[in-house]
Parts: sequence; structure tokens; C-alpha cells
Amino acid sequence: MLYKKRRATYLAAMFLVLTLLLVAGCGTKEAKEKRPTLSIVIDTEANRKDEAEAVAADLRKIGINAEVRVWEWSAMKEQLLQGSRQMYLTDWGSSYFDPFDLVIPKLTTNGRGNYSFYSNPKLDQVLQQATAATDEATREDLYRQAQAIIYEDAPWVFGYYLKEIGAASSQVENWHISMDSRINLHDVRLKDGDTLVVGLGTDKIVTLDPGNYRDRDTETVIRNIFDALVTRTWDGKIVPEIAESWETPDPTTYIFKIRHGVKFHDGHLLNADDVLFTFQRILSENGISGKTSPRKDLLGPVERVEKLDDYTVKFTLKNPFPVFTQALAHFQIVPEHYIKQVGDDKFAEKPIGTGPFKFKEGNLSDQVALERFDDYYGGSPDLPPVGPAPVKTAIFRMMPDPATRVSSLKAGEVHIIDKLPPDMAKSLASDPNVVVQSVPGTRVYGIELNNKKPPFDDVRVRKALNYAIDWDTILNSIYGDNAGRLATVFLPSGFGFDENLRPYEYNPEKAIALLKEAGIEAKVPSK
Amino acid sequence: MRGIRILERILGAIPIMLGVCIVVFLFMRLIPGDPVDIMIGEGSNVTQADIDSLKAQFNLDQPVHIQLLSYLSRVLRGDLGYSISRADNVSKLILQALPATVELAIAAMFFALLIGIPVGVLSAVKHNSAMDRASTAGAFLGISVPAFWLGIVLIIIFSVNLGILPTSGRADYGFTPPKRTGLYVLDSVLAWDLAALKNSLEHLILPAVALGAAPAAVITRVVRSSMLEVLQKDYVMFARAKGVPEHLVIVKHALRNALIPTVTVAGLETGTLLGGNMIVETIFSWPGMGRLVVDGIFSRDYSLVQGAVMVYALTFVLMNLTSDILYTYLNPKISMEKGS
Repeated sequence: MLYKKRRATYLAAMFLVLTLLLVAGCGTKEAKEKRPTLSIVIDTEANRKDEAEAVAADLRKIGINAEVRVWEWSAMKEQLLQGSRQMYLTDWGSSYFDPFDLVIPKLTTNGRGNYSFYSNPKLDQVLQQATAATDEATREDLYRQAQAIIYEDAPWVFGYYLKEIGAASSQVENWHISMDSRINLHDVRLKDGDTLVVGLGTDKIVTLDPGNYRDRDTETVIRNIFDALVTRTWDGKIVPEIAESWETPDPTTYIFKIRHGVKFHDGHLLNADDVLFTFQRILSENGISGKTSPRKDLLGPVERVEKLDDYTVKFTLKNPFPVFTQALAHFQIVPEHYIKQVGDDKFAEKPIGTGPFKFKEGNLSDQVALERFDDYYGGSPDLPPVGPAPVKTAIFRMMPDPATRVSSLKAGEVHIIDKLPPDMAKSLASDPNVVVQSVPGTRVYGIELNNKKPPFDDVRVRKALNYAIDWDTILNSIYGDNAGRLATVFLPSGFGFDENLRPYEYNPEKAIALLKEAGIEAKVPSK
Repeated sequence: MRGIRILERILGAIPIMLGVCIVVFLFMRLIPGDPVDIMIGEGSNVTQADIDSLKAQFNLDQPVHIQLLSYLSRVLRGDLGYSISRADNVSKLILQALPATVELAIAAMFFALLIGIPVGVLSAVKHNSAMDRASTAGAFLGISVPAFWLGIVLIIIFSVNLGILPTSGRADYGFTPPKRTGLYVLDSVLAWDLAALKNSLEHLILPAVALGAAPAAVITRVVRSSMLEVLQKDYVMFARAKGVPEHLVIVKHALRNALIPTVTVAGLETGTLLGGNMIVETIFSWPGMGRLVVDGIFSRDYSLVQGAVMVYALTFVLMNLTSDILYTYLNPKISMEKGS
């Protein structure tokens, strides 16, 4: 009896569900007639999903049917390179503080990072001229022209840059978060004690061989053990380090005078042979234990390196390369005598450099301990104080989890941490024992559009999307005040940035008008 | 006889390992992404020639079946290959990460058994009491609480607020014992360095608790239910009737028999723990296998992932074998003979 009663209830429920489905079906049918003519899938990685959802919501407000799809990066990249995607959130970093390694790969025809398939021969030409120009004013002018072209063509939905945020214990003095995300421990002092611990936001560093890596975390540790011909101030200016001075008799020749009395950690004096060896090791095929250095291409058009005398080195380039000195800050000088004696593998295990700290011991996925080098020549005169480091022991700990880095800083186990997420920075800033610092980052975040395919082969649609998104609200709710809008793909930290160019404003009416002009159905935003 | 059986089982593992090796090799190549492209990242001067030469260097320009054959022949010679993303030999990287994972797995299992067996026995003996209910609730909590949450909470309570245990890492600088086995606790005992022993134990406690909470809950449940079953058996009643003191009845007569299913579960759980737990390792900055493999997958570091998965497979085979051997000691009726 009870069973029958139940069955009746089930039947009634099923009937109800079916009716509802039918009604809903009619509803969609009705909606179909008024359906917006534009449907977009927005592709993103998981870390920017919230942003993508907010963008999709803004697009829906003007009648565009937008959905978000989350991918793992390599899988997404493979798809978008095939040209099968429409709109994708991507980012790209610049190491040289110059559009050279940002705008050229991203927006020149067939550029290595040109995922939007954008191509404008005029822009290609302007950028090529800017790369080859040797006069700063000319380059700046050309880059401004480039920005105007990019702005008008709107190949992307232009996005933003983020601030790099780091924090230190109030025990730490003279620490600056730096734009190239380097943590320079030479100048840092501790109020109390002489062992300083840095919590690096990474799983691992790759190696301690300055010729065999590509990532910034590895470089952070390496640059405390090794010095380069030149270095960068925390706000991005190139200053001499091992080089005393340099001259450029013509745009493809650079002659460096090397400082006297620079010692390697084993007491050996550095001279032109070591500089020569360092660059030849990277430039030659199979130069590092039978393999070619992954840094080779970073040297750009360097053709040959010669020794003029024991303390003078000459670089000859195939073509002018205005960011050459910027690039050199990333090439640390290695000891020829030592590597020839022990081999590349042993050198990577027990490296010797000319930097402020000697390698003591370490596991590259756990922690690396360095000790002060008392015979240090002092480092760049432009980065005072000059002399041996005040800190006696420096330890880099690999701490991939940001919450753990923050906890360790609060518990006093580490003194400096990097890669602080904006939400944690906010709560940490109120801690009296902690100092939080930020600096404009060197990555561009944006939404690339597939310029080759409809609807984004039409500049009006691309512009409409730039007007349709309320970036200020989105960025403020996700990143607080740690993000800055961009008018194009140029960064304020890079050379030639045009601060007079204002980012596209949020103007849904204009967006709708542009879409209508392009023959796409759009609707007035519902208030 | 037992020795021969064990040897047979070990030899039987070889085809399993070979199969795992081939499957992982093929799967890694099926997922989209290119290791050389990932290594070069955003380099802007890179030419196709540079990329081709790097590919050739890592043998990635060959057809897949040739790559597989040359990989297999190298593996047979004991060479697990070169890790692109970490610029080092895979076997060296695994030998560096494995002891960290083994040490943490042993500690977590120790914690799980330390909590699981007594609590399980007590709740079976005091069946349906308040204590039993509390342990059931605790076990549910232990299974459902995610490790990343538990880990962070433990760090905030014990490291930040109370300041009695370190937040993360394996040992402070200067307290690393001389390397023999790579297990810091064991190495400090071998070197009789008590300061290092204290330091590494302190670092081990929080991650072991975070990692051991879930297995502790599982073991509590298993011990409780098998104890309940065993306590109903005739031989327990007989022992009680004989006048054997209650604690001896429980420990000697009941628990020993109740432990058989526990050994199976503990063996499987240990196998899982030995795979390394990426989340716990990340939170506690523990340089183990979990992080190595996950990072390897994201960088499409084929050799590294293949090598690590082979180690997992081997670990699982060995763990199963160990629990089979343990059975025969716990219950002589079970033997390793074929057909039994």
C-alpha cells in the first residue's frame, strides 16, 4: 500500500519536472528569437578565473553571450596557437625594461608570443626602426608612435600590470623590493643578529651555474653569489659593477674596462679572461657539460667577444641592440680557472663567484646557505654601502606556499619574503613588526583576441570590447590598489612609455554603438 | 620456502614496472605542451633553430617509438635520464627527494597508528559509550578536514601563536646531520647529534600530524570494527571464562586477530603516503617527491615524471609484499603458498 502511494508521488514529481522542462524549453525558444548574435568563450588559467567571470558578466550586460573556460596553461597555449580560440587571458613579462622583449614578441607579425595573430606592417616597421635606432630620443619617439598605432588597432582587450609585493621583518634595514624581483642581500642589515633568512616563493631553484637557467628565482640566489659586468638599481637603472666603465664607439661595439682587484671566493683575481670565458661558454654550441646554454638567445645579436688587454673586453654585435647593457645585468661572470679544473657539473655543485656571498651548502628544493665573502671588492659604487656585506650568513629557503611564508615571517623564522598575494599584503600591513613594500611589476596582463577570425577581425568589435569592460571595478575588487590599468601593451616601468595615452574608459553605450555599426545585435545595459 | 616466494613476487614486479614505464611514457607525450618551449618561456630572441637544437639535445626530435626504445634501454642500464626543468640527473633528484618523503611518511604513519589503534580499541571495548561516539566524530573529522586547511591551522596555532614548533622546512641551517641515509632523524641518531635530532623532530611533528590525520581516522575505524567483530568470537569468550585478566584478553587474544585488516589498510595507506603529498609538502616547504612530480608535470619534464612514477610503482609493489609477509606472522593460517 505504502509502496503504491510512494509510486504515485514519484509519478507526480516526474510529471512536474517534465512540465517545468517543457516550459523552460519554450522559454529558450522564445529567447532564441532575441538571442544576441555574438557568443564568446573566454579562455583562462585557473588563477585568473574570477577576473574572467567578471569580464564575462560585463559582456553579458551588453547582450554578448559570454562563457568562461578554465585551462591548464600548456594545453590552452597549444589550442590558441592553432587559432581555434577567440578570446584568452594571457600575460607576458619583460626583463629588459624595454618594449624590446615585450611588444616585439607580442605584437609584431609572427612574433614568438603573438597569440592574437595581429599584424600591422606599419607597426612592424616602426618597431624595427626603434630596435635599430641608437639615439634615445628617436627611439622614444618611435615607441610613442607604436603606442598610438596599437591603441587605435586595439588588437587586445588591454589590461593591467600588477605590483610586486614583498615584506620584511622590521629587524631588516636597507631592504628595497626591486623591479626586477631580485633580492639583493649585499646592502641589507639586521638590527639584531647576523643570520638573515629569505623565504622565496618557489618550489625550487634550477641550478647555481649562472650559465644554465632561465627563471628569476634561480637568478635571485645566483646574483648574491656572482656579480656581473653591470647591475641594476632597485628602480631599474643600469650601473657598473665588475666593469668600471664602458664606451660605445659605434652602435655595434661595446668596450668594457674591468675593475682591478676583484677577487673570486678562492682568492683568485678576476681578469678579462674570465669575462671572455663566461660569454664564450654561453655562446658556443654544447658549451656547458655537452649541452648548449639555455641563455644563449638572451645575448641577442652578440657576434664575438674579444680581449683587448687583461682588463679590457670588446663585444661586437651583428646589429645595434639598444638593450645590450640591460641584458648584461643578467650574465654573471664565472671563474675560468676553477671551471676548467673541476668541470661544469662540480662547479654547479660548489660554485665560486665574485659576489658578496660564498656558497656554503644547499639543496635546491629546500634551502641554500651562503656566508659573507670578507674579501669582497665592495660591489657597484652606485649602490652604497660599498664593502663586504653586513650580514654574515644568508639563507634562501624555498617556500612555495604564500600562507606559510607569511606565517614564517610573523613567527620570526624568515626576515624577507617575496610574491605576496594582495589579500595577504593587506592584512600583513597592519602588523607592526612587518614592513610591506611594493613596486610596479614587469608583466603585462591582458585579454588577447584572435584577430584573424570573425568577429575580432573587425577593429570596431575589438574596440567595443575595450569599452565594455569595467576594469576599475574588477581590478579593485580582486587586487585592491595593487593593479594599474594599461592603455596598450607598454609598461610604465619600460622605456618609451607614453603616460598621456589614457586607457579605454568604461562606456557600455559606446560599446553597443560600435557593435551595432559592425552589424552585431547588442542591447542597452539593464540598470 | 618463504624466501623463494618472496623472490618470485619481486621478479613478478618486473613486468608491472615495465608496463608502468611504457604507459607513463606514452601518457606524458599525449598531454599537450612542449618541455623546450616551457623552458625557454618568454625569451624573445629565440629562433626556431635554437629550439630545434635544444630539442635535439634532449632527444625530443626523434619519433616517439625511437624515444621510447632509447629510454627503455637507458633505464635498463640504470640511467633515468636528465631533467630539463632542473638541469640535473633524474636519479640524483629522486634520491634527494625520496628520503624526505619516506621520513615524513614514516612519521605520519607512526602518528596514525599511535592514535588509530588505541582509540579504535577503546571505542570497541567501550562500545556505544560517549568515548566511542567522540572517536567516531573525530574520525569523520579526520577524514573530511582537508590537509591544506589543517596544515595552515597547525602552523598558525603552534608556530605563530604559541611559537613552540617551526613553521616549515626539514631542519634549520646548521642542524643538518651528516648525510648517510637522508632521513634526518635517523642520520642524527647515527651521528649521535642530539641537537640535530631535536631540531629535525621538531620540524617533523606538524607535517606528520597534518599528513597522518586522514590515515589515523581510517585506522581508528578499521580497528574499531574488527575489534567489535573479534570480541564476539568464541575464543574471546573462552579466554574470559578461563579467567584471563580483561586487559590480556583484549591485547593478546582480541587485538592480535583484529590487526590483520588493519595491516592491509596501513600497508595501502603507507604506499599512498610514500608517493608524497604535494599539498602537505608545499605547505610545510618539505622538499619531497610530491612537489618534485607535480612541478615536473607542469614543466612537461618527461624524464623526471617517468622516473618518479617508476619509483612509485616499485614502492607500491614492495608495500604490498611487506603487508603480505606481515600477515603470515600475524596469522600462521595464512601463508604465501600459491593457491592459499
